Amino acid sequence: MKPLELTVSPSPHIHCGARLTGISYNLLLALMPAVVMGVYTYGFDAVRVICISISSAMIAEALIQKIFRKKVTIADGSAAVTGLLLALLLPASVPIYVVVVANFIGIIVGKQCFGGLGANPLNPALVGWAVIRITNTWAGYLDFDLMLINYDTGFILQYPLAVLKAKGTESLSTFNLLALFLGKQTGGIGASAIICILAGGLYLVLRGVIRWVTPLCFLLGVVCVSFIFWLGDKTIYANPLFHILTGNVMIGAFFLSTDHASSPVNRWGMVAYGFGCGAMTVILRSWSAYPDGVIFACLLMGLFVPLLDKLRTKQVVPRPLEITTLNIDKGEKAIS
Amino acid sequence: MDLKSFFGILPPKLPYAELDAPVETLPIPPKVTLLWSEGTTTDLSISEGGNVKTGQELARNGNALFVSTVTGQVQEIKTFPGADGNEYVAVAINANPRDSFDPSLKVINEFSKAQPSELRSAINRAGFSVWGSILGDPSTLPPIHTLIISALDMDPMSVANQQAFRDNAGNLGPVIQMLARSTQATRSVLALPDHLIDISIDLSESIESFVKVEAVYPNGLPDVLAKKFGAGLLMKARNGGVVGNTLVISVEHAVAMVECLQSGKPFIEKIVTFSAGKDDPLKNFRVRIGTPIGEILKKTGVEPQPNGKLILNGTMRGYACFSDEQPVSSNIDSIHIQEPKEIFFFENTACVNCGKCNAICPVDLEVNLLGRFSEYGIFEKCRDLGAENCIECGLCAYVCPAHRPLVQFISHSKHVIQTEAIEVMGMEEAMACDACGPICPAIRLFESASKEGNAPMAQIGGKQQE
Repeated sequence: MKPLELTVSPSPHIHCGARLTGISYNLLLALMPAVVMGVYTYGFDAVRVICISISSAMIAEALIQKIFRKKVTIADGSAAVTGLLLALLLPASVPIYVVVVANFIGIIVGKQCFGGLGANPLNPALVGWAVIRITNTWAGYLDFDLMLINYDTGFILQYPLAVLKAKGTESLSTFNLLALFLGKQTGGIGASAIICILAGGLYLVLRGVIRWVTPLCFLLGVVCVSFIFWLGDKTIYANPLFHILTGNVMIGAFFLSTDHASSPVNRWGMVAYGFGCGAMTVILRSWSAYPDGVIFACLLMGLFVPLLDKLRTKQVVPRPLEITTLNIDKGEKAIS
Repeated sequence: MDLKSFFGILPPKLPYAELDAPVETLPIPPKVTLLWSEGTTTDLSISEGGNVKTGQELARNGNALFVSTVTGQVQEIKTFPGADGNEYVAVAINANPRDSFDPSLKVINEFSKAQPSELRSAINRAGFSVWGSILGDPSTLPPIHTLIISALDMDPMSVANQQAFRDNAGNLGPVIQMLARSTQATRSVLALPDHLIDISIDLSESIESFVKVEAVYPNGLPDVLAKKFGAGLLMKARNGGVVGNTLVISVEHAVAMVECLQSGKPFIEKIVTFSAGKDDPLKNFRVRIGTPIGEILKKTGVEPQPNGKLILNGTMRGYACFSDEQPVSSNIDSIHIQEPKEIFFFENTACVNCGKCNAICPVDLEVNLLGRFSEYGIFEKCRDLGAENCIECGLCAYVCPAHRPLVQFISHSKHVIQTEAIEVMGMEEAMACDACGPICPAIRLFESASKEGNAPMAQIGGKQQE
């Protein structure tokens, strides 16, 4: 009788079927409504930025992995997600070289230098954006009022947060809250499409790709802190609804702050992280030189993640027990 | 098996399979292999070529007994590498189709009049080796706080234990009475999965209560039952004695114990769930203990495909066999066959910190950190995170999108922590200790030693890095 040829491998012998590519491709899918809206509003310029951004992120990842002699893993989709997220934060008319440099910095400095997917302490897309934002020469390319001046979009071509920063709340009456919610506002290619981002984010939550705690607490943080500011001085600080519906808050809550590697995994850590991101956003919007603070808030709170992950209610509790026949006296003598 | 729903905010759940069908009894195979793990070949009281009777005592090591389950001639005695990685003493017997029972087995009919120690030694004599070392010797019987009789299976794809419950729900009263009397437990509880709660049971005031357990893996694991419904820690027999305070016995074993005592027969038959593939319905077979898996495959007309997988004892915690000579032993509940395309392989991928393992862990460990620390050999951190509390249910690896072998990472760190304990406190005490987490003597010793500025763990950790 011929012996059986059997495969031997350790338990568990079944798997729920989740894959890393599933996470990335679900993220890409969830961002598609925002992409469509961005392309509809800004036309071919938006297509140009998105394509260049995704391809340069993937090329950066493949190149650095070749140089580091690691397995090239661009097929897992995480580089594409980084590229797309970065593109959606940028104005449609940004020059190609700025997009490429931002992506290379994001992927190489923000991700691969730390060891690749899962080891990055900060969201690579945000690292790329932040480096461009704090340079003297290129920061202007991220100024929406300057960059989008030549477009005819059918809505007010003024960045709401810049208006708030410059003129206070009186001039905000020109902005219709419903129009802001429907994405009719100046901003990043996709980040300004609030309703699309919200739909994509809810899809991610329902699919179980991201957990609902961080986005909810992010939005709660924005509402609570901006409410306090608003109560303090209604002429300088905008109301909470305006804060939620403008700038990067929605994309920050659902896509930027929930990056798996750079966000906490425990429930109370998520609560503190999300609320911290939201609070920091409003503080930066109110008191810093930048009109929007979402990205710097996410980066700052990302640095606290290892600490926040220690917030657990579910500690492994010591149990009072009697060991009945175990004699450990000998062992203690053995060391002393 | 893909149980992940398309939409799912909550972690996926693994419900226990249900089966309401009569059990099929397989005849005694021509050749039976009996396995014994408690001693060596020198303990055996038989030799090759000798005749044995059903119920005959083949070997004895302390309280552990090795009892024949068939009548026949001993063909071969050898050491056998089990699928679980342990070395066994294997006795191959050419079995007669008819049993002649060993007369030394006692019949006990009135449990209320029998002494607890008498009941315990009779159970041990009947061949319940798993419980023998806990219940066998009256002098080592520790105070049992809670006795849990579990109608839940150990694996989501196994239905053997619920079969035993369905078949015997009417006469559980004497079973629980006998167990409560023999174990002298202060409290006895019957754990029922919620889908079996409607079956009428006759408990006849013999039990304090029964608890409804959600029929979702891993609620049927003894560790989880002991934690949720018992006094905290599962009783385990170890060389040096017994640790824990809650005893969990499956309904199948409990019913078999009573049947053995009443009939004067040994523990010879086991219900085994069999499934020939992903889409094959589950079937229950009553087989003679010692039947090689190959015989069951022959009877069912199923043959694993080349490079397929033969899984013993469940898809979540079971072992893949490397041959079909592996026999059914008294604690095997199920046999599953996987086709080559169904087989799941682990990958060498980095953790992406998605946190799915943390969310699903039934003992609330930080699995993402444990996996990484163990991967890079930082076992001291693993101990701080409570690696010893892991019950190895396998759910973390089941949900991991990076396909990391998380259970193996954690059990490796558990093993290293245990080995360090052996170096610190000597082999005998450390082996006696399977107590988990905070009561681990190794941890106490380590802490007391580090207070004195003499940390053995650090020294051993240094050695390993070289």
